[in-house]
Amino acid sequence: MTMQALVQVLASGLLTGLIYGLVAVGLSLIFGLMDVVNFAHGEFLMLAMYATFGLVFVSGLDPIVLMPLVAALMFVLGGTIYFGVVRFAMRAKANQGMVQIFATFGLAILLQGVAQYLFTPDYRSLQGSWLGGKTLDLGGVYLPWPQVFGALVSLAAFGGLFLLMTRTDFGRALEATREDQGAVALVGIDRNRIFALGWGLGAALVGLAGAVLTVFYYIHPGVGGAFALIAYVTVALGGFGSVFGALAAGLIVGLVEAATAVVLPPSMKSVGVYALYLLVVLVRPQGLFGRL
Amino acid sequence: MLLEVDGLSTAYQGLLAIQGVSLGVAEGEIVVVAGANGAGKSTLLKSIAGLERPCDGAVRFDGARLDGLPGHRITARGVAYVPENKRLFPRLSVADNLRLGSYLHRSKADREAPLERVFALFPRLKERLPQRAGTLSGGEQQMLAIGRALMTRPRLLMLDEPSQGIMPKLVDEIFSAVTVIRDAGVTVLLVEQRLAESLAIADRAYVLQTGRVILSGPAAQVRDDPEVRRAYLGI
Repeated sequence: MTMQALVQVLASGLLTGLIYGLVAVGLSLIFGLMDVVNFAHGEFLMLAMYATFGLVFVSGLDPIVLMPLVAALMFVLGGTIYFGVVRFAMRAKANQGMVQIFATFGLAILLQGVAQYLFTPDYRSLQGSWLGGKTLDLGGVYLPWPQVFGALVSLAAFGGLFLLMTRTDFGRALEATREDQGAVALVGIDRNRIFALGWGLGAALVGLAGAVLTVFYYIHPGVGGAFALIAYVTVALGGFGSVFGALAAGLIVGLVEAATAVVLPPSMKSVGVYALYLLVVLVRPQGLFGRL
Repeated sequence: MLLEVDGLSTAYQGLLAIQGVSLGVAEGEIVVVAGANGAGKSTLLKSIAGLERPCDGAVRFDGARLDGLPGHRITARGVAYVPENKRLFPRLSVADNLRLGSYLHRSKADREAPLERVFALFPRLKERLPQRAGTLSGGEQQMLAIGRALMTRPRLLMLDEPSQGIMPKLVDEIFSAVTVIRDAGVTVLLVEQRLAESLAIADRAYVLQTGRVILSGPAAQVRDDPEVRRAYLGI
């Protein structure tokens, strides 16, 4: 293997990894905030992709331009789902954990069904983004522009998230709610509001990922499944609830996947990722940056 | 009366922890609620603060009903509560804990105004600002919990056993801080097992036994009550 080929594998692994991190971070954020695993996370991604597709269809604008709007719509959706579904699931008097699992799992099935009904199971792809099909040539290492752009969006999103969580009152309130959701009322914080904003933020982040993915990935009602599986691995690897663990783990997953594709046939590129996941679960069940 | 509690009852799984408790706290007073373990003192404060939902009775603050409101709205009305276990945010710094205290006033230019008073009251908090709250000693955690409560700019401060689990030297410091807080215009409702010390700073007192008020009156009168002297003061 030449040096150039090695750099190529590394670079594509890093790009994919950054996108995986962005796909997964919302899941980790919501889990860390309130110990609820959102089994509809993949469906959020799917909805964001359809939203992007639909908005492009209606407005004729480039998906990249529509990205903030998609994130905003997903923010509203996330908050609504908290108030409309999750809040009630959390009130269960018995078996709360199970109720939460079935509530979000049921939501996933519902959203997929609705998507099948409204959009048909056909695979769709977006043509005509000015990033589409372009490659970046870095001295013989070729990187597709859509992925490069997605990676940059991911970095920007993580940067923004870091500032939000460390520099703002909302971030501090989020941290405090993570620590002790029963105590925030003592300083006048409405935990339901923070939970809803957390769901909104988590959905907006996966919405960004969805908008980016439409440029180079097929859209269909089951698209969330493949990404959700990787998102769960990423979150478990990084540590459930650790937002920046999701970034690090996303990069690791992307690199391992790219490396596996070199050694094994491309159809088995996920084998390395799941093998790594198994290893982490056995050796370090709390994940790399998690606290259990 | 600034705070009026009228026939308040709260039950845990059908068992009444307090029943028909009535008490009042006038503006500028220090009122102590005394009683043995399990008498219902903490339940009373939790029920006022909105952390437990009373099954009967009313709580009025400055004339308006508090009972039934969620806890964060009660805090916003000007009632701060420091629970027995303090409920700090242990992984956040002392500075962040204090800053969260002024969350309700985050859009005000003088948001941190009470901070100076908090540091004057507990100078050692200023030395500990970057430290995680969970690493503080018991006494320092109590100071931080009171400081955080003061940052919400309360008119009424409710303290649950502030002397518990801290070294004797700091107990005096906490009790004298309570009088300074009152002198600054904050009304105080104090729950304590250390009856002698709390009666020394209180204006009035209530004694709870198995969920009911069995005695109330001016602090001096309660202190001289033969039953109180025998049961609580060990004289």
